[in-house]
Amino acid sequence: METDELIHSLTGNLAAVRPSAVARRVATGLGLGALASTAVMLGWLGLRPDLAQAISTPMFWMKFGYAALTGLFLAGVLMRLARPAVRPGLLALAAGLPLLLVATMAFYRMASAPPQMHHALLMGHTSQLCPWRILVIGLPLLAGAVWAVRGLAPTRLWLAGLVAGGCAGALGAAIYAFACNETSAPFLAIWYTLGMGLVAAVGAMAGSRLLRWR
Amino acid sequence: MLSGLAGEAGPYRRLLDELSGLLRAYYRRRCPPGVDAEDLVQETLIAVHTRRATYDPGQPFTAWAYAIARYKLIDALRRGRAHLRAPAEEADALFVPAGADAAMASRDLEKVMADLPARTRELIRDVKITGLSTREAADKHGMSESAVKVAVHRGLKSLGGKYGGAAPDGD
Repeated sequence: METDELIHSLTGNLAAVRPSAVARRVATGLGLGALASTAVMLGWLGLRPDLAQAISTPMFWMKFGYAALTGLFLAGVLMRLARPAVRPGLLALAAGLPLLLVATMAFYRMASAPPQMHHALLMGHTSQLCPWRILVIGLPLLAGAVWAVRGLAPTRLWLAGLVAGGCAGALGAAIYAFACNETSAPFLAIWYTLGMGLVAAVGAMAGSRLLRWR
Repeated sequence: MLSGLAGEAGPYRRLLDELSGLLRAYYRRRCPPGVDAEDLVQETLIAVHTRRATYDPGQPFTAWAYAIARYKLIDALRRGRAHLRAPAEEADALFVPAGADAAMASRDLEKVMADLPARTRELIRDVKITGLSTREAADKHGMSESAVKVAVHRGLKSLGGKYGGAAPDGD
């Protein structure tokens, strides 16, 4: 086909595009992914039995807040990276703030605890399981993020994959918080972060393949 | 592009026409052997069209379109298993050939220069774009020649700092 004809056919029936189209698509992908991830969490692990009491403790909200805030900031970064030639921007730094806060609290908790408690604070009783559970719960979210971003126009595929994975991991960890009964800040700072990092690593490795678009 | 996003076909068609000229020049120089430059032009136009929602109105249009063109080139090279790269430093080369770029370049220029103080903007326009001599510009604005030079230099430097371009030569 001649290029002129192509232009003609592209511009016939031109529909208006909403300015929020990018944000909507990313939100749709993550929303559907979150539904699937919640289903995985409920079917596999179930809610923690003491959830009704737990939601009145600050520790539950710290776990949920850390993961959810990190996830939301990274979703914002992902919306930027879904556009050609847009850098991650300051939002990427903001995404590190919840971790900084949690790490600071973990540090003070460790410093103020007697040495014989350190092991329990760091390892909890699910440290061997936690990161893997977050990885599994994060994967449906990662699929949703990949679907959303590859329909847009990312040009830094590796980085977009990393951020998509980080975002999926963090939102997956927020969902996992409803199943997990760990109660220490040091545990959260290490094992939750490691779980998110696993999903981010999967995203980065798969990114340049899965996010390619034509 | 903004009218394109709003659904106005006329201006949008002119934009794609202009863009196809630029893309043709861009790909003709870089196209790997065995790939038809015109195919890449068409693929890029289709991508620009179908992914037009990813254009951010706060961004220069040419930077956005160039990033897509570059992505398409790398994709074509990768498919051809040629291990070549299209360096980002060549971004400006997209706009050198073809006369049709004037309108688009000036659109971007307006946006970029809008941050400068009004007088500096006027001076840069007179000296660097209209082509007045420093003397003529100084007379026009009632300034001394050296004040004109300093203002133009500072203006360009702040633009350079902001947009990461190389320092202009001969200044």
